[in-house]
Amino acid sequence: MRASQSTRSRVQWSAYVYISPALLTMCVLSFLPMAFTIYISFTNWNQMHFLHYQFVGLQNYITLFSPSTASLVAFVPTLVWTVVFAFVSTTVNYLVGLFLAVLVNDKALPEARLYRTLLIIPWAVPGLISILCWQGLLNENYGQINALLHLFGIGPVPWLDNPFWARVSVILVNLWLSFPYFMTVCLGALQSISTEQYDAAVIDGTTAWQRFIYITFPNVWRVSIPMLIPAYSAAFNNFNIIYLLTGGGPNRVETQFAGYTDILASAAYKLALQFNRYDLSAAISVILFFIVGIMSLINMRFTNAFKAVD
Amino acid sequence: MSRARRAYKPGERLRVWSIRLVLWVVIVMALLPLVYVVTASFSPTQTFFSPSVIPQHPTLDNYRAVFQSGFMRWVWNSTEVAVVVSAAQLVMTSTAAYAFSRLRFIGRKYGLMTLLLLQMFPNSMAIAAIYAVLARLGILDRLWVYALLLIGGSAFNIWLMKGYFDTIPRELDESAYVDGAGHFQIFWRIVLPLARPMLAVVFFLTIIGMYSEYILAGTVLQSPDNYTLGLGMFTLISGQFAQNWGIFAAGSLMAAVPLSVAFAILNPMMARGLTAGATKG
Repeated sequence: MRASQSTRSRVQWSAYVYISPALLTMCVLSFLPMAFTIYISFTNWNQMHFLHYQFVGLQNYITLFSPSTASLVAFVPTLVWTVVFAFVSTTVNYLVGLFLAVLVNDKALPEARLYRTLLIIPWAVPGLISILCWQGLLNENYGQINALLHLFGIGPVPWLDNPFWARVSVILVNLWLSFPYFMTVCLGALQSISTEQYDAAVIDGTTAWQRFIYITFPNVWRVSIPMLIPAYSAAFNNFNIIYLLTGGGPNRVETQFAGYTDILASAAYKLALQFNRYDLSAAISVILFFIVGIMSLINMRFTNAFKAVD
Repeated sequence: MSRARRAYKPGERLRVWSIRLVLWVVIVMALLPLVYVVTASFSPTQTFFSPSVIPQHPTLDNYRAVFQSGFMRWVWNSTEVAVVVSAAQLVMTSTAAYAFSRLRFIGRKYGLMTLLLLQMFPNSMAIAAIYAVLARLGILDRLWVYALLLIGGSAFNIWLMKGYFDTIPRELDESAYVDGAGHFQIFWRIVLPLARPMLAVVFFLTIIGMYSEYILAGTVLQSPDNYTLGLGMFTLISGQFAQNWGIFAAGSLMAAVPLSVAFAILNPMMARGLTAGATKG
């Protein structure tokens, strides 16, 4: 800002040397596969046409969406569940994280530090290992969760074997994994609010609830938005929680390609690796690109986050 | 803390105790599953599991059995890949962050934002293309291919690191510049040494993150000798659950405890970095 006009307009070309390693690897490893995925989605590259594949236009997309063939991969129900999962799960995670952050941030709680440390623990365990552990804990016959519920007189819950409960399990386990992260982000935001604002509000005779709505929440929201946007987008692609917990199951009767908890990301993975349907898998990925892209744009419009990364 | 020692106001005692009660319940619900995994690791296999947190016939058999599975091999594979990838990423992240923080170039203003947006599409989303190409080239099931796929720069880390670089006073650069230092010397002699805590945080958190990578590992690696920790553990538990649950639990603990301790040390620094980056701009 203090720089004069002449220095401001001068471009330091060496900057491109500094950013080129990151930029080049991103191009080759992220953007190139993406472009190739889009290309494959317009071909018939699968096990049958592994060496000689042809351009087939929109055929793959028609297969996914048209009612006569849609049940082949259960695409529409998978799409709906992906959207529901991403929104419900992320919102629940954020709200629980915010709620706990407000509680452990209470000034009248002398041992708050201890609670904070204990609540962070689920975040510290590598996610992949804890998801697999949950798969064991939630086992209908042998799992300790059902053994515990039995003490309270609750019969065995088919956590992973029933479509409804498998979906509940996915959301609950994701909450267990994610609330410490959101709590930490919200806590950082809470602590950045100056106490003068609260003091002034107390003098004006506001209630605690009013202070939360008009001071705490807007401030926390402003700081946590840059975390929340990627979180929503990442949820659409949260392959681990689905594949490692339920494997996408329980299976549907009408198709083996996608189970009841499969999201687009895990369905695309199974189609490519287990069934060698690169064409359909790529088409699903492209639809996923679109959803995540549109969502991010909408989000940014509304929140103005990243507006000036300067 | 010191304010807390004063006498409670009338309504405050009730509030504090309701907060405590809620937090205790949440903490028990959050930690009980972990306690159960510890219990399972000390319980003999082939038994129905009880809700008790104390194992009824404690044994170390599971821990011995872990070493007879491919566990150590998997840990080594994961560690190797994680260290190589994180080191490469650290170099790319710090140089790029330096450019975005200190240098003037076309694309500086919107470049980082664009990269952050584009990285909402990680390469694991392009699974069909990656698998099909690797299969066609005949280079599936190789650890170096797996490492290569992960090595791409991370816009999020660049953003995080840039936030930290921005907090380093520019006066230091300017005085070094007056003394005749070039960009690279300012980067190497001033910015990097001062950013050492953040470099360590990004490096170790990337390593820890690598242990949770599954989708690309599952795509590339096929033979048990090449499995990463995640792939190996997945086959262990999804094989025969009742027989392997105790072994799996023991392996999980052995893998998770060192990673969790490292994470617990690094996390507060990370959290500071996150909010420092977020409140800027």
